[in-house]
Amino acid sequence: MNDFRVLKLLDRLEGLFCRAGIDYGVMRSILQVKLTMDGRRAPTVLAATQRSAEPKEGSPFRPQWVYLIMGTFLIPLIIPSGHYMLQMSLVLGVVMFMITTTLVSDFSSVLLDLRDKNILFSKPVNRRTLNMAKNIHVLIYLFTLTLSLAGPTLIVSLFRQGPLFFLLYCVAIVLMNCFILVITGFLYLLILKLFDGERLKDIINYVQIVLMIAITVGYQLISRLFNLAEFSASFIPAWWQYLIPPVWFAAPFELAFGGGRGIHFSVLSGLAIILPLLLIIIYIKLMPQFEKSLQKLSAQEVGGREAARLSGWLSTVVCRSREEGMFFRFTWSMMKTERDFKLKVYPTLGFSIVFPFIFILNMIWLGDGGGIGNSKTYLFIYFSATLMMTVVQMLRYSGSYKGAWIYKVIPLPGDHTVYRGMLKAALLRLFVPVFLAEAVVFTVLYGVRILPDLVVVLFANFIYAVLCFLLLPRSLPFSERFEAAKQKEFTGSSFLMLFLLIGMVGLHYLATLLTGGVYIYLVLLAVGNYLLWRRTFPEGKRTKPSGMSNMDIF
Amino acid sequence: MAVAEKPVISISGLWMNYSDRMVLRGIDLEVYPGQIIGYIGPNGAGKSTTVKIMLGLVEGYNGTVEIFGKDIADGDNTYKRRIGYVPEVAELYDSLTAREYLCFIGELYGMKRSDADDKAKRLTTLLGLEKAYDMRISSFSKGMKQKVLLISSMLHDPDILFLDEPLSGLDANSVMVVKEIFASLAARGKTIFYSSHIMDVVEKISSRIVLIAGGDIVADGSFAELKDQSREGSLEEIFNQLTGFDKYRDIAGEFVTIIQEGAADE
Repeated sequence: MNDFRVLKLLDRLEGLFCRAGIDYGVMRSILQVKLTMDGRRAPTVLAATQRSAEPKEGSPFRPQWVYLIMGTFLIPLIIPSGHYMLQMSLVLGVVMFMITTTLVSDFSSVLLDLRDKNILFSKPVNRRTLNMAKNIHVLIYLFTLTLSLAGPTLIVSLFRQGPLFFLLYCVAIVLMNCFILVITGFLYLLILKLFDGERLKDIINYVQIVLMIAITVGYQLISRLFNLAEFSASFIPAWWQYLIPPVWFAAPFELAFGGGRGIHFSVLSGLAIILPLLLIIIYIKLMPQFEKSLQKLSAQEVGGREAARLSGWLSTVVCRSREEGMFFRFTWSMMKTERDFKLKVYPTLGFSIVFPFIFILNMIWLGDGGGIGNSKTYLFIYFSATLMMTVVQMLRYSGSYKGAWIYKVIPLPGDHTVYRGMLKAALLRLFVPVFLAEAVVFTVLYGVRILPDLVVVLFANFIYAVLCFLLLPRSLPFSERFEAAKQKEFTGSSFLMLFLLIGMVGLHYLATLLTGGVYIYLVLLAVGNYLLWRRTFPEGKRTKPSGMSNMDIF
Repeated sequence: MAVAEKPVISISGLWMNYSDRMVLRGIDLEVYPGQIIGYIGPNGAGKSTTVKIMLGLVEGYNGTVEIFGKDIADGDNTYKRRIGYVPEVAELYDSLTAREYLCFIGELYGMKRSDADDKAKRLTTLLGLEKAYDMRISSFSKGMKQKVLLISSMLHDPDILFLDEPLSGLDANSVMVVKEIFASLAARGKTIFYSSHIMDVVEKISSRIVLIAGGDIVADGSFAELKDQSREGSLEEIFNQLTGFDKYRDIAGEFVTIIQEGAADE
């Protein structure tokens, strides 16, 4: 176990902690254990770096190198003078985006570690020490994360913009961190209040998706603050800017160093200072509540019956054999309940809902929106298929991958049947609902004339799903562990799949140029679908899946 | 049994309800030093809840619980220093090595790190884990994890041990060693509060058996006393009788019938 440098720094404050009635020695060893465990945890965002890191003793800060590199990319934004509102909104926006998403996706598991209760509460450790340990743990995490993200720009700003700017930047970051921490905390508190048991963990999943979407959209809006199209980077005040936190924190810079004057900047700056402080006071008041609600996490729900009627019915409609239906239902219910799977896939789900719209908005904002009703920008709906890429990639993994012994024990009906059922379930459960929802919005936007095109897109995506499946190394569903995710293997094929998608958009575009071309294309796709699905998953034949060998379950 | 002594645990009028159901309905229990209490009952009878209340893991109960003569609700948790606990599911920080975990637990109990390490190392060696001492617990088998848990509960020489199914996953030889450890600890005046579903073991090692069902104590006494009361041969049968369960033959029969129904489908 490493003796962490942070802890040595903390040692200086020992007297302070003791005076606050905290058992410093105990708190220190809790923190040491927690930090050690963090180092051995695979962060969701950076799972790729984990493989090479595994054999060595982990430091929780190693993934932060990646953030440091990201932080370096921000340097160009801080160098010019003059457009402080634009520069700082962008810088702080990126920092806030990265911190919030990491906090939600990675750290919630730490914050909500249930083992703590049995292991720590049964020991003679007082609650105050425990709470303090937890808070400091989160703070250390937040601090290193922010420092690696904002560090490069901080240093550059000291030399380029002067010490006053540097100080203001520091203060802004601290306030912003408080804000992020409290907002996430409140969110969890609210969820914990409303739900309990298993459902709660699912809800947290959904919140993560919503948060991802909100942040992505918000980030898009920041760049809309300024009339970039005219390259003037002039700032136009508008009411909705009050809804975007990075703008608040950027306002003081404009006020202090830029030419910005007026009530607008003062109000925004005021928000940046008062709101975080106010929230943190409320948060501290509510802390005991949080602890109490946390206990609910382990509470067992008095089981309700899972209604499996929909999947049961669908499996009889879309599957050709009984075995295929069996794996259809299996994949369906696993996708519904497997938390790790959802954690990996649902953020992409959020993105794939938002992406097409962002593209279209971009077009409009860039002044090309003259008649979106007549344009072919609806083809952006293809980008919702990025979801398929991730899903097909992730279906092999499971938190309970050890359950895969079942494949070896039961007499498996040719694995093509398994894959076909699996792919159909993934399409129907995740892709089709997302696509339908988007199709409705698109129809409202573009009019009924695009309906044939939408059908084409749907058919094209069924083909795309099979192509994704063919490109990726195959492995039985839910049979490998997440940590073993050999992400590097996938980057190559990910690009290939993206190009394929763009190619399909191109084909579709060509088809729209001919009169009646869309209908011809539709027929071609229908035939193509039939042949491809038949070819890829021949009935009854049994081949050894190549992924079987790296199914390290025994 | 030294009745003159003061009880180490004394529970009176303990009620507990979760949102939807009553778990404990007025438990009264006094436990004396040197006793090995076999705390048994059907699934969901409230065994784990009782233990968790005594450890301060569950709050919101009615009644008083005194350990070492002090009410545990008074906010002072120093009593936990003299308690060891093996939870029912093997919950531990399994990304740590056995050494790291045991030292950490030792420190939480107020031991010095080097002392905890030294003691833990010797104890793990005795239980045949010396090669795994510096390996991550996540790579351990169920039995090995259980051994780590057992050691972590006794590292600080506690006066009371709460054990929830402590022998699960252990092989027959280790079971003998651990049972002997319990017996000699009890002989030295330590109290062991043992809950389990394996009646044979409870029957053999307990000096006193407390059976709860539906949140109430339905039997309390040594095995011999229980046997006299109920005229049944084994603890298993006494258990069946006292919990009002006499249909096991019917259920088993029906079970087998159902298995045979749909099997030949192809």
